[in-house]
Amino acid sequence: MGEPAIAVHALRKSFGAKEAVAGIDLEIAAGSFAGLVGPNGAGKTTSLSMMTGLLRPDGGQVVINGRDVWADPPAAKAIIGVVTAEAQLFDRLSGEELLEYAGRLRGLPAAQARDRAAQLLEVLDLAADAQRLVADYSTGMRKKAALGCALIHNPSVLFLDEPLEGVDPVSADVIRRLLTDFTASGSTVLFSSHVMELVEQVCDHVAIIDKGRIVASGTLDEVRGGKTLQRAFIDLVGPRTSEEEGLSWLGSSSS
Amino acid sequence: MAWLLVQLKLRMLRNALRSSARAKSSFILSTAFAALVAVGTFTGLALLRGQSTSVDVTSVVFTLFAFGWLVLPLVAFGLDGTLDPANLALYPLRTRTLAVGLLAASAAGAWPLANVLGLLGVTVGLASGALGLVIALVAVVLEVLFCITLARFVTTSMANVLRSRRGRDFAAFLFIPIVALYETFTQVVPRLAASGKLSTSSFGGVDAWLRWLPPGLAAHAIQDASTGHPGTALLRLALLAGITVVLGALWVRSLGRALVTADSSTQSSKVHGKVLPFARYGLRGTVTARLWIYQRRDPTSLVYWGITAVIMGAVSVSAIVGQNKHVGVLIASAVFGAAFVGVFHANMIGQTGPPFVLEATALTGRRTLRAYFSGQNIALAAIAVPLLAAVSFGLAYLARHPVYGLLGTAVDLAGVGAALGLCNILSVTLPFPVERRAGSPVRVTTPGYTSSGVGATLANVIGVALAVIPVIVAIALTGHDPAAIRMPVLLVCSAGYGLALAWLGGLVAAAAAEQRLPELCQVAVRSKL
Repeated sequence: MGEPAIAVHALRKSFGAKEAVAGIDLEIAAGSFAGLVGPNGAGKTTSLSMMTGLLRPDGGQVVINGRDVWADPPAAKAIIGVVTAEAQLFDRLSGEELLEYAGRLRGLPAAQARDRAAQLLEVLDLAADAQRLVADYSTGMRKKAALGCALIHNPSVLFLDEPLEGVDPVSADVIRRLLTDFTASGSTVLFSSHVMELVEQVCDHVAIIDKGRIVASGTLDEVRGGKTLQRAFIDLVGPRTSEEEGLSWLGSSSS
Repeated sequence: MAWLLVQLKLRMLRNALRSSARAKSSFILSTAFAALVAVGTFTGLALLRGQSTSVDVTSVVFTLFAFGWLVLPLVAFGLDGTLDPANLALYPLRTRTLAVGLLAASAAGAWPLANVLGLLGVTVGLASGALGLVIALVAVVLEVLFCITLARFVTTSMANVLRSRRGRDFAAFLFIPIVALYETFTQVVPRLAASGKLSTSSFGGVDAWLRWLPPGLAAHAIQDASTGHPGTALLRLALLAGITVVLGALWVRSLGRALVTADSSTQSSKVHGKVLPFARYGLRGTVTARLWIYQRRDPTSLVYWGITAVIMGAVSVSAIVGQNKHVGVLIASAVFGAAFVGVFHANMIGQTGPPFVLEATALTGRRTLRAYFSGQNIALAAIAVPLLAAVSFGLAYLARHPVYGLLGTAVDLAGVGAALGLCNILSVTLPFPVERRAGSPVRVTTPGYTSSGVGATLANVIGVALAVIPVIVAIALTGHDPAAIRMPVLLVCSAGYGLALAWLGGLVAAAAAEQRLPELCQVAVRSKL
């Protein structure tokens, strides 16, 4: 493997007494479609926020394509795209205004920002709604618009936090195809999710995080070890619930 | 069912007392205010006894209460879970059963009780004799029943709209006339009353048409019964009851429809204009464009500008009405206007909320941050300067001292510059998350950050007041100079001074923000908009 697109060393973050990320190490090769999976509260969002310069770590290093995120934030920011979990956008802008705004913020000339915005809206199946306010978009449309904002400056590494959460199958397919094409061109995607089937379908590299630590990392086959990813994941992080007590009244004909 | 919904309403009220300190204090304040309104209304109506215009004033009061019941539920639509029929649509309830329950729920709580108790002041002020007293009691009950039915009918028939983004925007705008009305009652009415321009006789004849509206029917029924016309009184009450029944029937019909009508919240129209304005002017122009669009499309921004104008008007009242007019307050009004521009925009990053992350990932250094802050300042100044100048001129015209329009504008120019510079600095050094609450058109400080919110407000008001002192001193010192020289010099110097302050603020803010962008992002993502 050459120089990794994403290299994380001993990254850690605590909130008060709670250690959210306990010194993780991770390397993702360029051109990978990588998944960061873990149960709720495992530290996925905190890790991604630190990798993208949005949350200052307590320690550790993040290097994106040779640029240290925390030593030289402007250089790193210029080559990454970010989609946050809730995809909260400037919702009083129309879809095309939003994408043009994102492009202009990234320093694209006005005409180029407008052209790319139109092309992205077309590919993301938002062209018909380009002039509607983002406030009136559905969850799936917002996720697609957020993805458009993250891609408009053609980043070499894309970070996505739960990109398909709450997205309908048709929109999910659009996003999936776009990301697959993106990585096929040599760019890198790292996304967090807790939907194992999705990760299994699209990722070639997987890291499992639990309680702020990476408990497994490698190619999909290495992490699965001959099982389904779901099974391997549960074996690694362990079941979260106690023995089922059962609801004797549920499903019976009695009320 | 009625009792169950009343219990639900009472439980929600009780839960407010057990939740956050903010919810608790707002519940206690609201209840105390309701008690004050009850006592004030009762006393006011009771004091009308023996006055020739008592029935006219009573009609006005009854109509005002009906208006309140009409408007306030539109603003508080998201606050009272029992107002939205969609919340109950899933349960197997018949429409009539549900209607009775919802009506009973509306009647529960401090405010309906305060209404009844307050309006009972008519038993002292307007009613006389046993029959008058009985009719007064019935009239008050019917008046409150009419108000509740009216409120339910309007909110239910508009439920789909109110639930939508456009409906919420519309409800936000109602906040401006409510603030204006409040300022009128607290600032204008007492001064007019003190100068003798407003008395109970001012309402003489006002009910020539109010008497035919349902609230007027209730007031006149009491007077008829008290002056020996029981037949007319009963006829009026029967008419009022009939109107309430018809309104109730219409409400039940619209309730039945609302329970099975699709949510219209996703329907929307397209916006005009295909290009982001000013975007060709680099990052500065791009940021200006975004904020400029928001000033037009975001109801909160429009509410802020509306309230700023109302506050300027309220501060100037003593220059316009009353016997002893103080024209100097026109200058004070300009200072307050500029200070409130600052107060409303002193937390731009917290107010922007999670979308700030999109901007933060592109803000790569001090130069881009300077462009970012100056872009914001241009958009806000483009609205603040003409608005404050227009209000200053309008108020000076009303005070019959037009020259104060120019002097006020000079203060506006310096004050807006100072306010924007302070906004830039405070947005970076004292940022705090905000949240939008159902029923509130403005964003409120997230619990735990109150001291930051108060600090930013005080810093802005005090900072702007101090910054405009040189302009006020210049105004005072040049009082005897020819206006043709004095005014242009004052305006140009104030504008230059304001510009310098705004530029300086942007400079300081950019230097501070460069080191703190991750922390600012964390504040922004904590905002719930």
